[in-house]
Amino acid sequence: MVSNTLQSTKEQVEISCKSCGSKLLLSAHQLSTVCPYCGSPSVISRPPSEDIPSPTFVIGFQIDRERASELARAWLRRGNWLAPTSFKKALPNLIQGIYLPVYLYGTTAHSRYFAKIGENYTETETYTTRDANGKTVTRTRTVTKTEYRSLQGQHATYVMDVIVSASKGVSNAKFQEIEPYDLRAIRRFQPSMIAGWTAEEPSRSQAECFGLARQETHELIQRKLREFMPGDSHRDLQFDTQFSREFIDFALLPVWCFAVRYSEDKPPIQILVNGQTGRVAGKAPVSAAKIGSLVVGVLIFFVVIALFAVLMGQG
Amino acid sequence: MDVAIMTCEQCETPLEKGDLRCSVCGFTAPLAHHHVVVEKKQVLRCTGCGAAIAYDAKRQAPACSFCNSLVKLETIEDPVEQTEGYLPFTVTSDDARRALQAWLNSLGWFRPSDLTSSAQIRELKPLWWVAWAFDADAVVSWTADSNHGSRRSAWAPHAGQSQCRFRQVLTSASRGLSQLEASRVSDGVNLQQVHSEPMGADDAVIEQFDTQRSQARQQIANAVYDEAKQAVRSEVPGTSIRNLNISLVVTGLTSKRLSLPAYVMAYQYKERLYRVVICGQDTKFLVGNAPYSVFKMVMVGLVIGLVAIIFLGIAASS
Repeated sequence: MVSNTLQSTKEQVEISCKSCGSKLLLSAHQLSTVCPYCGSPSVISRPPSEDIPSPTFVIGFQIDRERASELARAWLRRGNWLAPTSFKKALPNLIQGIYLPVYLYGTTAHSRYFAKIGENYTETETYTTRDANGKTVTRTRTVTKTEYRSLQGQHATYVMDVIVSASKGVSNAKFQEIEPYDLRAIRRFQPSMIAGWTAEEPSRSQAECFGLARQETHELIQRKLREFMPGDSHRDLQFDTQFSREFIDFALLPVWCFAVRYSEDKPPIQILVNGQTGRVAGKAPVSAAKIGSLVVGVLIFFVVIALFAVLMGQG
Repeated sequence: MDVAIMTCEQCETPLEKGDLRCSVCGFTAPLAHHHVVVEKKQVLRCTGCGAAIAYDAKRQAPACSFCNSLVKLETIEDPVEQTEGYLPFTVTSDDARRALQAWLNSLGWFRPSDLTSSAQIRELKPLWWVAWAFDADAVVSWTADSNHGSRRSAWAPHAGQSQCRFRQVLTSASRGLSQLEASRVSDGVNLQQVHSEPMGADDAVIEQFDTQRSQARQQIANAVYDEAKQAVRSEVPGTSIRNLNISLVVTGLTSKRLSLPAYVMAYQYKERLYRVVICGQDTKFLVGNAPYSVFKMVMVGLVIGLVAIIFLGIAASS
């Protein structure tokens, strides 16, 4: 394949369509485009630089455009009963199907932990109470008590499949809501996989993504350690984790992006659909009117109950 | 047969052809051939008709919109794999028959008295059943409660970490044999002698591996986990143990797919069929079921009850 020189600036790249020769402007982070004149898909391959590696893996779209729109509409209609009616009736506006840049992170995590482990035991205790005739009597009962013992030890585990968003357009917290992806469908990156689709380069630095991945891993280790603790209960879990043999791979994962504009004066709401599994996530707005009527409804309910109780008491 | 082309840089587990990531620790498999990417843009063209191609979500592959041909991609391969070797039969079917008779004789008094004379062997089938033999090293972190060092509660928490070595551990892949049957008869085989062809029985049924590689790896991983849990049990101080939790860092996990010899026998006693499985290399390793004599058990129950009543009577009168 003939390589053309590209006129690159920091913000935009100009390429000429190999099919019809028209000039196309792409934003610097875009990896592929479709020529608006002749419909030819173009893929741009750049040599990996220190901060922007070339993709290692890609997962292909499995949810097509129609299915994604259906899923987004269905999500709007149900499950957000506190959202304004205008939001639920709004038509999601498809922005695009995009190959989102992410980092796949893995490591070996060695942790030292300290915790107080609760071990239950039962004791028979005596107590005094009044019987039916009003006399003071002494009785016994069995109570469960907990004895806390300190425990410290080491924990080692592999951590894999931690995925963090490398795009500034989609925050990592938002991306977590449409996870998981089935990584068994992963493929080694080939330009033909993104032909005809929009793909981005990472707009977050690798260092920043490393930080996000370590943070996610830290939370994962905490969950694992909680399950790892013996005893009937535990408290004061503290741990210190060392990551060794960390690895991070740049991958492209399929996401459908929608925007919902439900009111003239409100910013549009972003809805994401997992392009592999169809999982939908977005932050539905809350209607002040609906919350207000709910609160009033609950208050009225309690007032009625109270009135009823008072009336019964008098009767 | 698949040959491991390289081992994982992180955990030394062999990677097989078609692995993009290590199945044990997730580490990325290196590209077989590195190529230098130069800055370029491409219009990808169909090799058939020359039209531009684009990725098709419905077909999950890049496709040509004109002639509909697909582009082949490197994906994770997940084949159903075949056995790598056979362990020979060293026990003949006559030996197996005699072993069954001897076993029926040895079962004890609670069995029907005519069991050995009336039992009729209905079926005797040599079978090569399938199993994985794995080697692995693992750092096992564990926690547990035990009675050792307990104070007011009957339990006290303990924790530890140890290095375990597993060599030639067998785990069943068979659908024909139950877990119990497989674990009992697998103890009698010699894993040193593996042949590439079936040997020692001509008419044997050869069971096939029917799980895909990914599922097989999952089953092997579960077996390593169970084996490790069993291994660290002895490290927990005290005599009674509960809540044993483990966490593993496995390195150098290798496995072989083997076909192991066994005789599957069915014998009939009074209208009912009973099943016995005998190891094809050592008749001592035998597992099966046999009827009990209801008459004898009821009689014993009555006698015990009677004795108890007499004793209670004596105790009450004194």
